[in-house]
Amino acid sequence: MTPDLLFQLTSPLALLGWATLVFAPLAPRFADLVAAALIPALLSVGYVALILVNWGSAPGGFDTLANVMALFTEPAIALAGWVHYLAFDLFVGAWITRTARAQGIPHWLVLPCLVPTFLFGPAGFLAFTALRATYAAQARMTGARP
Amino acid sequence: MTTSLASPFPDLRRLWADAPTFTRLGLFIALAAIPLLAAAAIDPRIFLHAPVWQKPLQFHLALSVYLFTLAFFARYLPHGMTTPRWRIFAAIVAFCILAELLWVGGAASFGTASHFNTSQPIMTALYGLMGIFAVILTSASLALGIAIWRNPHTGLPPALHLSLALGLILTFVLTLIAAGTLSSMTGHHIGTPITHSALPILGWSREVGDLRVAHFIATHALHVLPAAGLIAATIAPRVATFTVWAASGAYCLFVALTLARALQGQPFLP
Repeated sequence: MTPDLLFQLTSPLALLGWATLVFAPLAPRFADLVAAALIPALLSVGYVALILVNWGSAPGGFDTLANVMALFTEPAIALAGWVHYLAFDLFVGAWITRTARAQGIPHWLVLPCLVPTFLFGPAGFLAFTALRATYAAQARMTGARP
Repeated sequence: MTTSLASPFPDLRRLWADAPTFTRLGLFIALAAIPLLAAAAIDPRIFLHAPVWQKPLQFHLALSVYLFTLAFFARYLPHGMTTPRWRIFAAIVAFCILAELLWVGGAASFGTASHFNTSQPIMTALYGLMGIFAVILTSASLALGIAIWRNPHTGLPPALHLSLALGLILTFVLTLIAAGTLSSMTGHHIGTPITHSALPILGWSREVGDLRVAHFIATHALHVLPAAGLIAATIAPRVATFTVWAASGAYCLFVALTLARALQGQPFLP
C-alpha cells in the first residue's frame, strides 16, 4: 500500500471519531469507546507500522529543526506524522468531551472547543482549558457547582 | 488442588490466579503482534528470502504460547507462581522475553539480522547477551518441571504427573542441545539453498538441512509429552507410567535424529 492510499483511508476514520464526539450527549459511552479507544488505537497501529517499516531508512532525526524537516521529506514518515496528529487530536477531543461531561460543562459550549481541537489541536486544548478555568473560578467565587 | 480432568474445558480464569506475570505478558505480546501484522502488510522488504516481519511474528506467537503453557501448568504447584521466589524469577524471565522480542523486532525494522549478526561490535555483543537471555527464559520450563516433579499433591494420575514434569524438564534440556548446536553455526542452514523452497509458516528449508527443526521439536516437548501422558492415563492406565517413559525416550531419539539429519544437510520434509 502506498502512503497516498493510506492517507486517504485515515482521514475518514478520524472524521468518524469526531462525529461521535459531536453527538456524544446522545451516546456518551459509545462516543468514548470509539473516539478515546477504538479509532486512536487503530490509527496508532498504523502509525507504529509506518515507523517500524520506514524509520531505519529515513533521513534526518529529532535533534535539529533541519533534521526534523528532512525527516518529513520522506512520504511514509510524513504520513506517520499526520496519523500521529489525527490519533492524538482525536484522543484529546474525547478527553475534552469526557471531562466536560464529568464537570457539568454544557455540550454546546464544548463544541466550539472541539472545532479548533480538530483543526489546530493545541488551540482547541487551550480554548477548553480556558473554559474550564471559568467554571473553576465561578465555583470558587460563588461556592456553587454548575 | 483440583484437577482439570473433571471438565473437558479447563478454567482459563485460573491462569491469572496461578501465574499472573506470565499470563499478562503472554497476552501483552500477543496484542503487540497486531502492529507487527500491520507492518508486515505494508512492508515489501525481504530478508534472507523471507518477508522481514515473518520472524518477529513467529517469535511473538511462539513466546506467547510458551507463556500461556507455563501459566496453565502452574496450577499444579501448591501456590502457583505466586510465592515471592516465583514472582522474582517470573519477572526476570519476563524481562528476558521482552528483550528478545525487542531485539528480533528491532533488527527486522532496520532490515538486518538478529541471530548470527556479527556485522558490528554492538550486534555481536547483543547476539551473545540474547543467547544468555534465551537460556534464562527456557529455564522457566526446567524450574516449573522440577517443582511439579516434587509436588506430591497435584491430584493428577501418576503417569500424567510424570509426563508433565518430564515434558517441561526435557523442553529445557533438549532445547539447550538443539539451540546450542544451532548457535554454534554461522546460520540455520546446513548446505546452500538454491531455490529457497520452504515449508509455509514454519519456514523450514525443503532442500537443505535446517537446524531450526530440532529446536522446534525439542521446545515442544512440554506439549507433546503431557499430551501423550494424558492419552496413556486415559486409555491404558495400567501401563501408563511405562508408556510415558518410553514416549520420553522416543522423543529424545526423535530430536537427536532430526538434529543429525539436519547436520548431514538433509531437509526434514523435502
